[in-house]
Amino acid sequence: MAVTELRVLSNPEPEGPGEHAAAIYPDWESVFQDNVVGIYQLVFRKVGNAADAEDLAEEVLMQTLKTLRLPAPVPAVRAYLVKTARTVLADHWRRHYAARDAANELEQIPIEIVANPDAVDRAQRLLGLLPDHFRNILELRFLRGYSVREAAHELGVTESNARVLQFRALRKAAELEREVLR
Amino acid sequence: MKDSADRVARFVDELLHGRRPNRFEATQEEAEAMAAAVTLSAARVGADVPDKAALDRIHQRIAEALDESSAVDRRLSRRAWLRTAGAAAAAVVVGVGLDEVVRSRQESGAAGGTPTLLPDNGTWRPVAAVTQIPAGHAMPVSTASLDAVIVNDGGRITVVSGVCTHLGCKLQPDDANRKLNCPCHQTAFSWSGKVLYYRLKAAPANLPQIPSRVNNGQVELYIV
Repeated sequence: MAVTELRVLSNPEPEGPGEHAAAIYPDWESVFQDNVVGIYQLVFRKVGNAADAEDLAEEVLMQTLKTLRLPAPVPAVRAYLVKTARTVLADHWRRHYAARDAANELEQIPIEIVANPDAVDRAQRLLGLLPDHFRNILELRFLRGYSVREAAHELGVTESNARVLQFRALRKAAELEREVLR
Repeated sequence: MKDSADRVARFVDELLHGRRPNRFEATQEEAEAMAAAVTLSAARVGADVPDKAALDRIHQRIAEALDESSAVDRRLSRRAWLRTAGAAAAAVVVGVGLDEVVRSRQESGAAGGTPTLLPDNGTWRPVAAVTQIPAGHAMPVSTASLDAVIVNDGGRITVVSGVCTHLGCKLQPDDANRKLNCPCHQTAFSWSGKVLYYRLKAAPANLPQIPSRVNNGQVELYIV
C-alpha cells in the first residue's frame, strides 16, 4: 500500500445507519493504544520470546507512526501496520539467523492483529499429527517445561539423543505445519 | 545432525526460559525447526501477554522519537495518561481525600487528558459491589443523574461516563479489547476515556471521569 493512500485529511460525517465510512484514528496515541497489544502478540507469535517481541513491536509502531499522516482511517492504518510487521519480522530472521527461506515465507503468509487467534488450537493440532515419539519429546519440553536432561530421563534415552529427537520432531512439525495446517 | 540438534536445543532452551536467543547463522533445516519451536513456545497459555512495563517503555521511546522538540510536553502528557489510569484507584487505596483526587484529575485534563465530572452538591453514592466487576471487565451502571462505566483494570477501579460524547448513545463495553464502543457511529474509547477512533467529521471529546472510591466493598461515585 502506498503511503499516500493513507493521507486522509478530512472525512465526511456519516450519520445514516447504512453508511460504512471508515473509523478514524485522530492521533498517534490512539493508534498506539488501540494496536500496541495486538502488534506485540503478532510479533511474539513469530519470535517466541519477550525481549525480541518488545524490540520488534516498537520497531513496527515506530516505522509506521513516523510515516503516517494522521488523522487516518482505522483499516488503512492497521493494514499498514501489518505490512510493516511482515517486513520487520522477515528482516529479523534474515539478519540474525541468515534464514532467507523463513523470512521469505513470513512475507507471504497471512498475519493478523488479533489477540492469539488460534495459536493454542493450532499447536495442539500440530502435536496431534506427529508420531508418538516426536509428540512425546515436544510435549515434555513445551507443555510440561522439562529440561533436555529431564526429558531424556523420562524417555529413557541419552541427553544427546534427546536433543536429536527434539530437532527431528521440530522439523517434522514444521513440515506438517507447512503441508497440512496452512 | 548433532551440531544442528545442539544449536536448536540451545535456541529452544532460551525460548522456554524467556531469554533472548543467541544469534547464529542457521541452516535451512535449523531455521525450519526454530520456526516450529517458536510456534509451540508462543502457544503456551499466557506466553504472549505483554508486560505492562514493556508497553510503557515502548510508549516512552516512541513519544520521544516522534516529537523530540516537545519532549517535555510529551512527558507531561504521559504522566497525565498514567494518572488518568491509576490515580483514582491508588488514592482510594491509601485513603487520599477527594480534593486530591479531583486536583490530580484536573491536572490530567489540562494536559490533554479527560475532564472530570464534578457536580455541585454531590455526595458519595454506592452503585455496585466491587465483586460484581472482576479484573479485566467494565460494567455499565445507571443512576438517577447519569450513566457511567466502572472499569476494573487489573484490580484498579476507575469510572468514566457511559455516554458517547458525540450524540449521547450508551457505550457498550468490549472487554476483550479493553474498549468502550459506541453502537451508533463506530466510535471507540479506551478504558481511561480517551477517544481511540471515530468516523465523524471531527474528533469527539474524551469521556469525562466520574470521581469514585471503594468503601466497604462498594464502588461509590461522587454524584447528585
